[in-house]
Amino acid sequence: MSLPTGSIPFRENAAQAIRNEALRAAMRNATGVFAVKRADAVSAVPLEEWRDKASETRLQVLDHLADYVDRFAKSAVRAGATVHRAKDAETAREIVACLLKDHGIQKAVKSKSMISEEIHLNDYLEKQGVTVVETDLGEYIIQIAREHPSHIIVPAIHKDRRQVGKLFAEKLGCAYTEDPAALTKIARAKLRQEFLSAEAGISGANFAVADSGSLVIFTNEGNGRMCTTLPRLHIAVTSIEKIIPSVADLPKFIRLLPRSATGQVVTTYLSMITGTRKAGEATGAKDLHIVLLDNGRSSIVAGEYREMLKCIRCGACLNACPVYQTVGGHAYGSTYPGPMGIILTVLLEGMERAHTLLDATTLCGACADVCPVKVPLPRLLRRLREQRTEMGLTPTMERQGMAGFGMAAKSPTLFGAGQQAARLLWPLARKIGVKGTLARMPIPAEQPFRRRIS
Amino acid sequence: MTQDAAIDLFVENAEKAGARVVRVSSAHELNEVLSGMLEGATAVYSPGVTPTEKGLAIPPDRSTEDYVNASACVEEVSAAVAETGSLVCSSQGGKPVQAGLLPGHHIAIVAAEHVYEDLDRFFAALGDAPPTNITLETGPSRTADIELTLTIGVHGPDRLSIIVV
Ligand code: SF4
Repeated sequence: MSLPTGSIPFRENAAQAIRNEALRAAMRNATGVFAVKRADAVSAVPLEEWRDKASETRLQVLDHLADYVDRFAKSAVRAGATVHRAKDAETAREIVACLLKDHGIQKAVKSKSMISEEIHLNDYLEKQGVTVVETDLGEYIIQIAREHPSHIIVPAIHKDRRQVGKLFAEKLGCAYTEDPAALTKIARAKLRQEFLSAEAGISGANFAVADSGSLVIFTNEGNGRMCTTLPRLHIAVTSIEKIIPSVADLPKFIRLLPRSATGQVVTTYLSMITGTRKAGEATGAKDLHIVLLDNGRSSIVAGEYREMLKCIRCGACLNACPVYQTVGGHAYGSTYPGPMGIILTVLLEGMERAHTLLDATTLCGACADVCPVKVPLPRLLRRLREQRTEMGLTPTMERQGMAGFGMAAKSPTLFGAGQQAARLLWPLARKIGVKGTLARMPIPAEQPFRRRIS
Repeated sequence: MTQDAAIDLFVENAEKAGARVVRVSSAHELNEVLSGMLEGATAVYSPGVTPTEKGLAIPPDRSTEDYVNASACVEEVSAAVAETGSLVCSSQGGKPVQAGLLPGHHIAIVAAEHVYEDLDRFFAALGDAPPTNITLETGPSRTADIELTLTIGVHGPDRLSIIVV
């Protein structure tokens, strides 16, 4: 059968990515460094106990999600914030655009937020005539390159220092340098002016605390703090499943998120914003608007993939995934890449569009081993694959092949005969293989493994 | 864990995160250490809100009210967490939390009795009605966004000094 049009061309993207040597080198370096740092950071802590507790807390929220959303909204309002509920991306975008328009604001500074990527907020605001300045260094790099993030924690992970140097020289008119410290200084100077003159700050939130109405934001650079304390208007867009029950639950997640994400004990800054600036205070926005985005969460939480919503967006499963390590984030053609990205994309954008991503996994289980909140990623991926087959979205060749394999696997005689045939016919098949695909396959062993161990 | 052990752990972890930490036992000693740290600072901001801040000897010709353009910010922070080596900056009492973020050098003073052993104890004490802004600050501002190469001093200070009194 032919694949439905409009599905993400993952195979084509991946083939292209694999041919890009610079990309592969950057990915090898980055994911390797992350793996070592994470392993170091969790080696001397009671990780299993922490993961169990964190997972339990996340499930507790998901079990009563609607109640927690109400509780959070009530607390946030009590603290002085205005809470908006957005059922989908479009509504959320409109709310943000209206708020900026009502305040007569044409330029906003923004700290990194994957939710804003999910709802394509920047594009929308630009079309409405609002300039959005990304202030996280990685986001700033990809914004001036007019690209999208390829990692949920390190958005410009796919670029090496030479590419960033060239980009800065070309777009910012500075002298070429490939020294990361010098490049950082250039961005700092450019962005400092933006922070001081900005009238609105847009952020996401890593967590939203139900009993206090607080937003919790983790950053290393300090840009999140600037966006949320300097401008008079602060708009935070976050999705409803980011809620945790109480302030007392925070330590669990502070211990796990930075360790899993970057291997840090804690990020440099961890801001907890509760409401607006009160009389006599010298910090905080005068106007705080929190947009609570549903965008499919309410129905996901009621179905068999609910555990995906435990995710705290640490990025560890991306770094651990052999497919992500090889092809990088852009090949997925979606907001969220890697194992969590495949599942979220299918759930958020539909099987028709995203089923091709289900090929982007080896089901090796490395993702589940590192997930700090025990999202059963391989199980969810397997189930989605089954569902894809049920929907008839797998290629005919694959289905027939799997049916044949299934039959043979049940009969030792048939299986042996198949192996024999493969050994005899393989040298011939390799010569006529379509576009050399077969030529790249390994030659079957003289003595099959099955017989070597029996 | 005794309070002394908690302070030792705080010092160890804050240093690991890239802060410079000095322990002093009197107001006199505090001012001595501070004057050394302020060498080279041309414009020093201090909120002057807490009694400790009011007793700081900042050379008048180098002090400023404008934290945006200051080269150093000297302030007493409300607490510290030993487990992570973090300082706790709070908006309580009318403090501009962002003042510790904008200048290149943040000098934070923390009272020894305000050092919490771990995150649980700190957040339990905070309760469910925290001030408008609470920021845990751990080491100087950093990024690793270019090839994961660690670079210190992005938007926030590139130097963090802590004085435990
Ligand atoms: S699924 Fe788990 S490992 Fe992956 S980003 Fe979410 S929390 Fe991290």
